[in-house]
Order: sequence, then C-alpha cells, then structure tokens
Amino acid sequence: MTLSFFDQFMSPTYLGIPLIALALSLPWILYPKPTTRWLNNRLITLQGWFINRFTQQIFQPLSLGGHKWAALLASLMLFLITLNMLGLLPYTFTPTTQLSLNMAFAVPLWLATVIIGMRNQPTHALGHLLPEGTPAPLIPVLIIIETISLFIRPLALGVRLTANLTAGHLLIQLIATAAFVLLPLMPTVAILTAVLLFLLTLLEIAVAMIQAYVFVLLLSLYLQENV
Amino acid sequence: MPQLNPAPWFAILVFSWLVFLTVIPPKVLAHTFPNDPTLQSTEKPKTEPWTWPWH
Repeated sequence: MTLSFFDQFMSPTYLGIPLIALALSLPWILYPKPTTRWLNNRLITLQGWFINRFTQQIFQPLSLGGHKWAALLASLMLFLITLNMLGLLPYTFTPTTQLSLNMAFAVPLWLATVIIGMRNQPTHALGHLLPEGTPAPLIPVLIIIETISLFIRPLALGVRLTANLTAGHLLIQLIATAAFVLLPLMPTVAILTAVLLFLLTLLEIAVAMIQAYVFVLLLSLYLQENV
Repeated sequence: MPQLNPAPWFAILVFSWLVFLTVIPPKVLAHTFPNDPTLQSTEKPKTEPWTWPWH
C-alpha cells in the first residue's frame, strides 16, 4: 500500500490500541497536581503563573456573569496548547488535526454561549443581528447575513484549528521529504531546505500556541456578547 | 482526507470530552493563589516626604 502525505492524519492503531487514545490521555502527566505546600517547585509555579495570567487576560473584558466559565476556558486552553505543542515532536500524533475533535469542542461550547444569551437576555442577544446605524432598506438583508455569520461561527472555529495544524504538519512532512531526497543529489540545496525546515518548525511552534489562544479567545468573545 | 472518515467521529467526541471534563479541571483548580483579586482604584496612595537618615 503506497503512502500518501495525508496518511499521517489517519487515526492510527498499534497492537489494537488507537493511538489517539494515548495521545489524549498521556500528556496530562506533564501537569502534576499541586499539593497544599505554600512554596512549590519550578514546574508547578510556572504552570500556576501561566494559568493565572491567562485567566486574567481573557476574563478582564468579561462581565461578572461570564466569570463562571473561568475553569472551563482555562482547562480548554491547557488542553489545546498541550496537544498542539506535543504534536510537533517527531512521530507523535496530534489529535487536534482531527476535524471531529475540534468540532466536538467548537459546536457545544458555541451553542452554550448562544443558549445562555437567548435564555437570560433574548432581546440583547438578538440585537447583535443588526448593527447600529443600518439604513432602513438594508435591514432584512443584513439580518440574514448576520444570522448566517452567527451559524458559521462553530464551523469556522473548528475548521480554523484543524486546517492550521493539518497544513503545518503537511508542510513539515513535505519539506523534510524534499531535504532528505535532495541530500545525495544536490547537498547544498538540501542544506538550504533543511534551514527552511528549521524556520518552518519555529513558525509551527508559534502557530500551535496562537491557534489554541485564538480558539479560546473567540469563545470568550462569543460569551461576552451573550452575558 | 482521512480526517473526514466518519467512523471514529463519535468515539473521538466522547473520549476527548471525557478527558477534558475529568482529568484537566482538577489539575487546573488545584492551583491556588495567595492573594485575592482586588478591584483597581484610581487613587494613588499619598506619599509623604520622609527624612530618614541613610546612615
């Protein structure tokens, strides 16, 4: 069976165990649970600092009603950034390249923000469908457009994360293959390709962190509209 | 594209939410911080000049 470049994203199994199960359950070993000691070790201090600063950053613009989501969004951020970053190691499987996983998080959380808005303040939530200062003849068209953009949000959220990570991994595989194949033929070009690969890996590290942050930030914005 | 294969979609959904709800929040919530957050006030504290000798 010839391999194509997309085969790295097939949910692989090894000895009957789907590797996505391992990729989803093992990374949390890296986050030891802090005890009640006042002075922790460096790892726990760093993780606590990160969680604290991130929560402050995301929830500062939100009104108090939205602060109930703090534990959820902090957990989501840790979840996504860990999976993204660990996927950049060679021979690891990145669960966030699977559209199923990203949609599994995007759709319920987006739906939750919409339902919260509709239940608690339906007029305010529906008011977002019509921007201020719209000329009267344009009102019906604009409401349709805004409704469509509301429903596209979960799709965009899931597909954005999937596409960014899939494209990154695919590029890394392509350029690494090119460098490897060129090595016996044109060593100079192969070295240049290797430098390109290094720069691309740096970019992918940034993309991994940014995409996780963007996912959670957009969810907090949707929450902000509805709370 | 193998990601569009619908076979493991539901299993991935269930398993990832399971991990997300059971494993991570206890670890996140166990991080406690010593100071309570305070609302920022716009007054700056008044500082009076002091004449403590340095030596």
